[in-house]
Amino acid sequence: MSAADILSWSTLIALIILGLALLISVVRIIIGPTLGDRVLALDLMTVIAMGLVGTIAIRTGLMLYLDIAIALALLGFLATVALARYIMSRAATQPDDAP
Amino acid sequence: MNPAMTVVVLALIWAAITGTFSGLNLLLGGAIGILAVLLLRRSLGPPRRFRQLRNIASLTVLFLYELGASAVRVAIVVLTPDLKSALQPAIIAFPLTVKSDAEITLLANLITLTPGTLSVDVSEDRSLLYVHALAFGTREGLIADIAGGFEAKVREVYS
Amino acid sequence: MIVDIATYAGCLLLLLGALFSLVAAIGVVRLPDLFTRMHAASKAGAVGGGLVLLAVALLCFDVGVAMRAIIGVVFLLLTTPVSAHLLAKASYRTSGQYRVNMVVDELKSKSSQNHRA
Repeated sequence: MSAADILSWSTLIALIILGLALLISVVRIIIGPTLGDRVLALDLMTVIAMGLVGTIAIRTGLMLYLDIAIALALLGFLATVALARYIMSRAATQPDDAP
Repeated sequence: MNPAMTVVVLALIWAAITGTFSGLNLLLGGAIGILAVLLLRRSLGPPRRFRQLRNIASLTVLFLYELGASAVRVAIVVLTPDLKSALQPAIIAFPLTVKSDAEITLLANLITLTPGTLSVDVSEDRSLLYVHALAFGTREGLIADIAGGFEAKVREVYS
Repeated sequence: MIVDIATYAGCLLLLLGALFSLVAAIGVVRLPDLFTRMHAASKAGAVGGGLVLLAVALLCFDVGVAMRAIIGVVFLLLTTPVSAHLLAKASYRTSGQYRVNMVVDELKSKSSQNHRA
């Protein structure tokens, strides 16, 4: 098997594994009992999506996708920080909010 | 690092990110670097000696090793069929001997990415760092582990 | 020859990264409470994403792109603990139900004495 073949197969396998991971983390978003669980799963989802976009960058050879992946990581971080602050401020206004 | 060095390093990083090392691009990176240094001049602190690069490198190597070990350990815990016996979650109060904001931030970040520990909160008076442990052994063992490993290194870097 | 070796190494890193991401996702679903889930998401997730970006750096054969990917890895490793820490702090104050799982909880005994789980 040539190097190009191995590259194409391993990117395909990586895409499948990452897609599976994305689906599994969606399960936690749906069933997650608290808001914190859902935010955590969303954070993980953006990291996995970043991995997916990175894999697509390797597979297609278009390095523009790498910028998208890094922007996605940045966006995921900001979203998680914003949501954590929201959870905190909600706890401050309603102290006994434990579901 | 003095401000001039910072600007040079920032210009080089800019050139590396944009992918062209032409003179004009380096100049643009330098201009942006000067702007950033001007904006951040209050929080950059006093210039640091160059000798500490060795300490920083040693901290980085230790960190990368621990990061790999922690990922493998979490993977093993996740994939054990019998989760209940593998897990012993606990929150431990770790007494901090480092005091400045930067040191505590660095230590908390390092703790989060190392095997079995996650920093949760810092007490108001900055004397305690609350650490969540995945598989709790003994309190003393965990504290000695952090104090002898990362905290010592962090103190070396900032000494 | 060296190109082939870089390709094999990159493929290995890519598959490892994908597997770590999968482990993180499984962990987030399987583990019993928010804090243990956070261990899985922050460590395995960051390592998985970082390995994929390193694979991009190895497989693109372009210094500028490789630098960008490595800076992306550094950025990921800097931000993941920060967001995990913020989330842990925020949810410790809101969700009381998970505290019963813990063997020792010294943060709780600080706020309300004589309530060790």
